[in-house]
Amino acid sequence: MEKIVEVKNLTKEYKTLKAINDLSFEVKKGEILGLLGPNGSGKSTTINCLLSLLNFQHGSIKIWDKEMRPDAYDIKAKIGVIFQEVAVFEELNVYDNINYFCGLYITDKNLRQIYVEEAIDFVGLQDFKKFYPKQLSGGLLRRLNIACGIAHKPELIFFDEPTVAVDPQSRNSILDGIKRLREQGATIVYTTHYMEEVEILCDRIIILDKGRILAQGTCDQLKELTKIEEKITVEVSDFPQKLIDEIQTFSNVLQVRYENNHCVIIYKKGKNNLEEFIDYLKHHHIIYHKIFSERPTLNDVFLELTGKELRD
Amino acid sequence: MTVFKTFWQIIKRYKMMILLYTFLLLLFGGLNMKTNDTSLNFVDSKPDIMMIHEDEAIGITKSLIDYMSLHANVSIVSEMSEEIDDALFYRQFNYVIFIPKNYRSDVLNGLKPSITVKSTGDYQASLASMLLDRFLKTQEAFVDSKLSEQEILKAIDDALQDRTEVVVTSKLDMNELSQVTQYFNFASYTLMATIIFIICLVLSSFHEEKVKNRILVSKMSYRVHNRLILMASFGYMLFVFLLFLLFGFLLFGFSLLTWRGFFYFCNAFFFLFVSLTLAILISNLVQKKEAVSGIVNVIALGSAFLCGAFVPVEWLPSSVLKIAHVLPTYWYIQGNEFLKTAEKLQISELGPLAQNMFFLVLFGIGFLGLNLLLLRMKQKRNG
Repeated sequence: MEKIVEVKNLTKEYKTLKAINDLSFEVKKGEILGLLGPNGSGKSTTINCLLSLLNFQHGSIKIWDKEMRPDAYDIKAKIGVIFQEVAVFEELNVYDNINYFCGLYITDKNLRQIYVEEAIDFVGLQDFKKFYPKQLSGGLLRRLNIACGIAHKPELIFFDEPTVAVDPQSRNSILDGIKRLREQGATIVYTTHYMEEVEILCDRIIILDKGRILAQGTCDQLKELTKIEEKITVEVSDFPQKLIDEIQTFSNVLQVRYENNHCVIIYKKGKNNLEEFIDYLKHHHIIYHKIFSERPTLNDVFLELTGKELRD
Repeated sequence: MTVFKTFWQIIKRYKMMILLYTFLLLLFGGLNMKTNDTSLNFVDSKPDIMMIHEDEAIGITKSLIDYMSLHANVSIVSEMSEEIDDALFYRQFNYVIFIPKNYRSDVLNGLKPSITVKSTGDYQASLASMLLDRFLKTQEAFVDSKLSEQEILKAIDDALQDRTEVVVTSKLDMNELSQVTQYFNFASYTLMATIIFIICLVLSSFHEEKVKNRILVSKMSYRVHNRLILMASFGYMLFVFLLFLLFGFLLFGFSLLTWRGFFYFCNAFFFLFVSLTLAILISNLVQKKEAVSGIVNVIALGSAFLCGAFVPVEWLPSSVLKIAHVLPTYWYIQGNEFLKTAEKLQISELGPLAQNMFFLVLFGIGFLGLNLLLLRMKQKRNG
């Protein structure tokens, strides 16, 4: 598949702090690449370096096989950016905001008018064209922010945490929009610290921490990195210590913990763990309120790789 | 074109502020139409004098009373009383002259009788004293010349009738020029305020970090974008200038269609240029739009007060004027004041005006230089 972005050994330092440390990755045409990491892991810094908003000390960035520089206007013409913070003019209404930012790329007035209308339709702001940013809710503002970034129909789009502080309904709408953009042929780089989002959205994921790549691959490939096969949680008011100790000795169990009436058993292998565990509970006359099984999440992967949770 | 259009769309959002400053300009410009400058008008001033004479009002005594009555508002009383002090205290009179008994005969006999006076000590009293001195010295000059009383009286009368005619040769209509100057001086506040206020608010929107980043990652070069914004700002400055021009003609009619009017507007144009460069500098310094209003008040209102936009320059203490030298408004107002009093507007005589305008241009260049320096520093800091 055609390479759109190629980053090699990218290093960005702020005095003594290495914000990005020897980062190398590629983005292929038509894919959604997720950059996942906690706050301060270097996601936004990476995006800003890719966009030439920040200088960097080492490494190289190529987009469409050309070196990305502040004056690479032919590359910039095909890029769209949706920043983490809503970047619009307070004094302009929805239509004029989109028209202005689209106007930085599209000089033909008639074509721009069509593009602006399409962007408004795309994000569902048809009824709010004459509204000013102050009159919009947080979710609608985020949609306006997206419309301003995609109105000129870019081929490569950077989304920098577009769903931060957004209600679930708007969040779903934004994620659906991103999927539709990919269907229309756009290549997308998506940064977030919400693992659920990258799981449902991204073709490939790069997990970042402290400016370094911890792991990269598809969601399934990443989950294979963890020793965990399954996690069973049972809600039970009293769970004897001797049973906990006994379960711990099972060969397919990695870890057992009992806290706040919840017993969590982490299995490293096995196919019928849930069934067998229910039988075990019945056999020991343990009455439970709820029991459920989970596949390992990216958070588990992150936890295993770093010893801390993504949300820490 | 989009950048230009957006610039004006943002300005449109602040139309109430522009209207407010326009209203202020018209209001004060209109009020100035009713004020007159009297600095070059001369009127006779007559002090209020009380004369008490115990002598008979004939001959030299009568001549003294007549002379004083001609040049002052004289009330004659026949005898001294305590109420005179009260009248002086309450400024009913500025001066009291007491002519003693046998004054006429004593003068004619060469005895030099003394005249007692009482004075409030103010300007009018000094004038009365001068009148009395003039009469007494003239009288003294002729009394010693062995002339008859009739001849002495005639000689005194002739001598006192000698007057010096003072003619104001200026062909300037000081009243109208004064109004025009006040209009232009007051405009230093409204022009500077409207330029700084609006330009700062609009440019702050474009300079906002997140919006700026969007522009930086776009297809348009940030340098080109900045150039367009500067051109749009200059366009706004021209708009304000044309508005000012229009109101000038509305208030003063075609009297501004003269070389003097042309130079007044030239001076205002340079001042607007300085205000624009200052506004651009401030917009790069100010982080929050909310601070703009306060800054406008401090800079525009402050310099207008210090430099004599609201009160005549002559009334300001020299210490204040010394400080005012570092403000562009001072040089603008000095230019207006020069145009108010300049008799001829030939090129050879326009030196002071050219100097004032030169200082305005220097201020403009200085502000632009500072702005460039600031941008370089910001660039370095952002790495």
